[in-house]
Amino acid sequence: MEITVNEKENNVIITLDGRLDTSNYEEFSAKLKEIIDSGKRFLVFNLKGLEYISSSGLRVFLSTLKTLRLVEGDVILCCLNETIKSVFEVSGFLSLFRVEESVENL
Amino acid sequence: MQETFLNIPEEIYLLSINEKGQQHESFKSENFDLIISAAILMNLALLHRIDSDAINIIPDKLEKVGDNLLDGVIGDIYEYDDNRRIDEWISHLSMHGPFFREEILLSLVRNGVLKIEDEKVLWFFSKRKYPMVDDAEQEEVQSRIRNLIFSDDLPDERDIVIVSLLKSSNLLEVVFTPEEIKENTERIDQIAKMDFIGQAIGKVLKSYNISGFDKLFGVKTPEQMLEEHAKVLKTKYRVKNDDMMPAWIRKGDPQYEKTLDYVRTLGHADITFNPRTKEYAEIKYNYARHVFGSGI
Repeated sequence: MEITVNEKENNVIITLDGRLDTSNYEEFSAKLKEIIDSGKRFLVFNLKGLEYISSSGLRVFLSTLKTLRLVEGDVILCCLNETIKSVFEVSGFLSLFRVEESVENL
Repeated sequence: MQETFLNIPEEIYLLSINEKGQQHESFKSENFDLIISAAILMNLALLHRIDSDAINIIPDKLEKVGDNLLDGVIGDIYEYDDNRRIDEWISHLSMHGPFFREEILLSLVRNGVLKIEDEKVLWFFSKRKYPMVDDAEQEEVQSRIRNLIFSDDLPDERDIVIVSLLKSSNLLEVVFTPEEIKENTERIDQIAKMDFIGQAIGKVLKSYNISGFDKLFGVKTPEQMLEEHAKVLKTKYRVKNDDMMPAWIRKGDPQYEKTLDYVRTLGHADITFNPRTKEYAEIKYNYARHVFGSGI
């Protein structure tokens, strides 16, 4: 999976391309920790190019949300394709997050 | 994740019993093996030994964790070494249900959560009970789950698993009153579906209960009893052809004869075989009978 990080005003925009699964959820989690430790509080995930997400990947999203809510930050999911939207929906995770149609809406 | 010295199957077991060690009445003992199997898989997922999606279990880091119950299953998954459907894993593991129960009881006794009491029944035999030492651990789980449901807090990974299992196994009433369940259905449902293994166990239990374990009455030969038992296992574990059945219950395998001898000795075929210890054991569908198994 490719992880691209950009900043837009107060938000950090993280674009994920490929599969978030058993092979890379730890790397993904470590990257997010690094970003949060640097003081960023609002993370926007552009998930247009995300092809697959496993439970471990979903759990990284949940723990990131928990961490950021404690410091009045937030996680925003953006540009979900149909496959990924359905995984978030079926797993009940979708209702936990603020969801936006596009990065421009922010 | 919250620190706790009990694993998830142990927490689920504790929630299912009263202070005397008797299992909740509405808890169907036949389902316990399936629920505990799912609980083990969920615990392994939290420990990053497996991963999952809506359909499959995916092996992750298969190192042992130092827990007999969990490590046994890690061994099974290591041997299989491929993705496998969640429902298939649950069904497969539930074949070891009697051994899981034993391990859970031993571990809870070892950890000082349960104690062993041998009670004399009549004058010639005793029955063994496993009452709680106190209800501190049970109360801790109950209050954790209640606090989560009655708040808007984001759930902890471990609590998602517990809520998911309680919901699938109709055990919510050991934590909530019927009114509380009714008032908080939406929140409970939302949290319960956050675990794919939790979602799968609901479906497995449903199909298992539909297939049923109805006993047929009448006098039967040991061969007939064993054939019927094999048929039930084939349905329960979704085995498509006889070659896929374990050796001990596969007709034509040399071990089949030993199995028949065991059935002859017992007079029934509600049995299983532990491939690790190479021992046969009776399946106790009445959980109380198993827990309080008589000992002369």
